[in-house]
Amino acid sequence: MANEKDVLVQIRNLYVTYGTRLGSVSAVDDVSFDIYRGEILGLVGESGCGKSTLGKALMRMIKSPGEITGGQVIFNGEDIMEYSDKQMRDFRGRRTSMIFQDPMTSLNPVQRVDEHMIEAIEVHEPKTKKANITDRITSLIERLGIQKRRLTDYPHQLSGGMRQRVMVGLGLVLNAHLIIADEATTSLDVIVEANLVDQLREIRDEFGVTILMITHNIALVAEIADRIAVMYAGRFAEIGPINDVFEDPMHPYTQGLLRSVPSIRLDDQEELYKMPGEPPNLTQPPSGCRFHPRCPQAIPICARIQPELLETKQGRLVNCWLFQDQPEEAAHPIMVTA
Amino acid sequence: MSSSLRNFLITRALLTIPMVLILITMVFFIMRILPGDPIRSELGPKATEEQVEIIAERLGLNKPLYQQYYEFLWQMITLDFGNALTMGERPIKDELAEKLPATIELTIPAMLFTAFFGIFAGAYAAKKRKKAQDYGIRLFSIAIYSIPIFVMGLIFQIIFSVRLNILPIAGRLDPLLLVTFESPTNFYIIDSILTQNWAALRSTIAHLILPALTLGLALTGVFIRLTRVNMIEAQESDFITAGRARGIPENKLHYRHALRNTFIPILTLIGLQFAILLAGAVLTETTFSWPGMGRYLVTRIQLRDYNAVQATIGVFALFVAVISVVMDVLYAFIDPRIRY
Amino acid sequence: MTEQQNSPEKKASTATEIPQWQLDLDQVGFVRRIFIARKWYGGDWWFVVVSAVLLLFIIIVGIFPQWFAPYDPRAEVGPSLLAPGEPPSAYVLVIRTDSGVVEFKQIANRDNNIGFVIGSPASQAFREVVGALNAESQAAGEGSQYQPRPQRFESIEEGLAALENGEIDGYIASPDELAGVVENFTGVEILGGLRVEADKGFVMGTNQIGQDVLSRTIWGTRIALIVGLSSAIVAIMFGVPLGLISAYIGGTLDRGLTLVMDSLYSFPGLILAISIAAVLGAGIGNVIVAIAVLYIPTYYRIVRGQVLSVKSELYVEAARSLGAKGSTILVHYIFPKVIPSVVIIFSVNVADAILTQAALSFLGLGLPPDTPDWGIDLARGQDYVRRAWWLIAFPGLMVSLVTLSFSMLGESLSEILNPRLSEL
Ligand SMILES: Nc1ncnc2c1ncn2[C@@H]1O[C@H](COP(=O)(O)OP(=O)(O)OP(=O)(O)O)[C@@H](O)[C@H]1O
Ligand SMILES: [Mg+2]
Repeated sequence: MANEKDVLVQIRNLYVTYGTRLGSVSAVDDVSFDIYRGEILGLVGESGCGKSTLGKALMRMIKSPGEITGGQVIFNGEDIMEYSDKQMRDFRGRRTSMIFQDPMTSLNPVQRVDEHMIEAIEVHEPKTKKANITDRITSLIERLGIQKRRLTDYPHQLSGGMRQRVMVGLGLVLNAHLIIADEATTSLDVIVEANLVDQLREIRDEFGVTILMITHNIALVAEIADRIAVMYAGRFAEIGPINDVFEDPMHPYTQGLLRSVPSIRLDDQEELYKMPGEPPNLTQPPSGCRFHPRCPQAIPICARIQPELLETKQGRLVNCWLFQDQPEEAAHPIMVTA
Repeated sequence: MSSSLRNFLITRALLTIPMVLILITMVFFIMRILPGDPIRSELGPKATEEQVEIIAERLGLNKPLYQQYYEFLWQMITLDFGNALTMGERPIKDELAEKLPATIELTIPAMLFTAFFGIFAGAYAAKKRKKAQDYGIRLFSIAIYSIPIFVMGLIFQIIFSVRLNILPIAGRLDPLLLVTFESPTNFYIIDSILTQNWAALRSTIAHLILPALTLGLALTGVFIRLTRVNMIEAQESDFITAGRARGIPENKLHYRHALRNTFIPILTLIGLQFAILLAGAVLTETTFSWPGMGRYLVTRIQLRDYNAVQATIGVFALFVAVISVVMDVLYAFIDPRIRY
Repeated sequence: MTEQQNSPEKKASTATEIPQWQLDLDQVGFVRRIFIARKWYGGDWWFVVVSAVLLLFIIIVGIFPQWFAPYDPRAEVGPSLLAPGEPPSAYVLVIRTDSGVVEFKQIANRDNNIGFVIGSPASQAFREVVGALNAESQAAGEGSQYQPRPQRFESIEEGLAALENGEIDGYIASPDELAGVVENFTGVEILGGLRVEADKGFVMGTNQIGQDVLSRTIWGTRIALIVGLSSAIVAIMFGVPLGLISAYIGGTLDRGLTLVMDSLYSFPGLILAISIAAVLGAGIGNVIVAIAVLYIPTYYRIVRGQVLSVKSELYVEAARSLGAKGSTILVHYIFPKVIPSVVIIFSVNVADAILTQAALSFLGLGLPPDTPDWGIDLARGQDYVRRAWWLIAFPGLMVSLVTLSFSMLGESLSEILNPRLSEL
């Protein structure tokens, strides 16, 4: 699917900043990439690198003190940054939906499961008949492997996995094109997690939805995703087809990240790689490439000038000076940050 | 009713027993152990030993403490408190049976007013958090809390009864109507409807407006505050974010999802507020000469009617316990996590 | 949205830019920092400042009421029930022309009759002047008693006619009333002023016994502050240690105490205070005790809750496993965490205590009846609610203002110290 190159969302030069008492945090910094229709894109990175912020920004859901300070999100050819509030409400739920980490709290505890779904349909398609709504909900929920009688349950009566499937159902009930799953499986136990992941793939195949899968769990991405995007300190380090990236990680950060993943094939003798240093403080990020203080292969230019995310091979983009032409220093003096 | 709900209610009702017991014991000890001596303070410092003994005998204060305690408990259980010592020496039970309905008739409209007004103002302030409307409502709630109930009542009397002369200044019913008024339940609104005495109904309602408004407004401050804090908390919860991500309109998220969840903590608070409401009722009743429990308590304290005071405070304690059970039942009906 | 077209370089620099005032925060002293914080906390900052200024003023008034009060709060300094700003009117004595009287003293004996219009403030002037005469003679050691008999008339004409006929020896009226009337009676003349018109009245009027409302209202601040602050402090002295100990030791003691405190907490506070004050009898110490009891559970609950949550936090666990003594943990780890909430509760509690104290004295409990106290004044003012609004308005305003300052401080501090907010 991924090679069809039918672009669903284009993100261009996206910036998100949080204004805090200690200074402004640039949580997403000049991020540009495409999401292809029907693919599963895995987004990985250390905690605090801006994954959730990016996911929310795609739906313009950044709350104060945060702000989208620039960029475009072009969905099906329309820039959603230009949308009015009303258009935005219509966009949320109908075109894109989101599944959050904690299934315990992301459903309204005093609302029944079917009430959640009915409400969503009534808000977006007010003309739908009652009987049609019920049919739609019932067939969908059964398709997700939840019994029909569970519809009248309250969230606290469902297990974590079931709730997360209800959240998926809430995304599908309005035929959203893109589902953003932010750590959707993290809080589930391993077997439930595996089931949900399988189900997400089936859903993709069946409904043709696109899934942006935000997670810490690289093994999970390896299992399900078509492409993987690696994020570091608010920027993309690398993005490419899953097999290519796993076989030949190009960005030094990706290399370190993959080496620090415990794998079953790993020999007992082999020590897990531990990346040196700490993730940067985003109120005062390092100049140039944000990874350079921790980078084993850093070269002088890395500290001064920020590289760009450029295509190096077919379908693979890397944000690293090692893979692009280094300009004369004098050419870009403004780029150096304080 | 599912069995778990029934179990919950039974457990809850049982749990109030120690609470009532502690409250009643507290009342008992306050009346006896504290250094003040009710007999001396009644008779003055010059009383002879003999006089003191007569009164002590009459009050049962010469018996051993444990026996007094036992008798007091028995009185609370049977609600038979003996006779008052002053003002006609009628059975206290009968007197309280007349006063309690008056207090209830005052507190219920006040509570309803507070709840509606307070919850909506608080929810609105939470919606406009850190905007001018929020600060305005908060300032209002602090200000209204800071005005003593009796000052507010007196000011209303000056404005509406003295200056504008549109509402009666005190009492429960026009004295002219009171002469012929039949009152089987002592709830004047119910009575006047039952006897189809429309003039009395009009008069009762006119008399109720100022006291209920005073008491209601006085509590609004606390209510706005509590609603606001809880709404702000609810607003930050994940299911609101998730709802927003489904494109549910903000108003619906705020006034339906967040508010409905806020009702659960608020209901608990209403239970606690009831204590403040009763305390407020004492002052409101005194200000408006409203013949309820609170005014009864105050006049009997002034008359040093030891029996009546002890019984009235005991009944207040029972009242508080009953309310807290009622609130928990309501709680169970609102919160599905308890219902199932 | 036009911003999007800007070049990334520009954006990159704004994203890392820190407002200057935030950088300043780390370099300036405490006072400057408070000013800078205004930008961050907005309205709440103003709430704190306004209430702090109000409180400062109130506390000064409470400590030095004599600097502000024009009169002694207990002294009768003017006619009764004088409206704010209204000057007490002048009164003159009218006598028969042929009586040869030159002084009021001469017709102020037991067998003399003095007339005035029934229910007019002239009766007040009459009483005042007789009182002054008696005081004077007592001071001089003469021992003579002045006690002329008052005669009340329906109208001024009736009275003057009676004077002309010799039925009474003197008549008291104000010059305004006499103008145009006295000329019709040939046998009478105006002897002179009994009391001259004051050039200014009383800013807040006088009460039913002629005390200055302004002075009483100012002196009332002292009582309110004494009771409010001391009862809060007493409550802290019991509530905080009990909460600390109960949470720290746990077990049966904790459960028992919690049950007692919860019951106390659920009981209507004022009613509890009423019963304690009624049993203890009048006296400022008793009032303080009666009110303090109400707030012990508040401190107990908050402190206990905080300690339990702090206790479960890792660093206390770590400190304990390192072998720190219980008291060290208490002082170094738990106390600092508990203090902010105690401060917030304290100011809210003082506000509430002042309200409760006013309510107690309004109900006639607690303080000796002559004390210059808002609650007492309000209770007395209630009897004159139809005539004298100023007896309600000014003490009422003052209670509300003092309570407002304390609760505003508490409320906005709690919003500012809210941990979630300060994390940012
Ligand atoms: N509400 C907020 N206010 C201030 N800063 C914030 C806020 N939310 C996030 N940030 C900052 O933005 C950066 C990115 O946060 P984000 O939640 O997007 O990270 P993440 O990659 O999703 O982390 P995790 O894997 O832990 O979920 C972090 O450095 C964080 O400190
Ligand atoms: Mg996240």
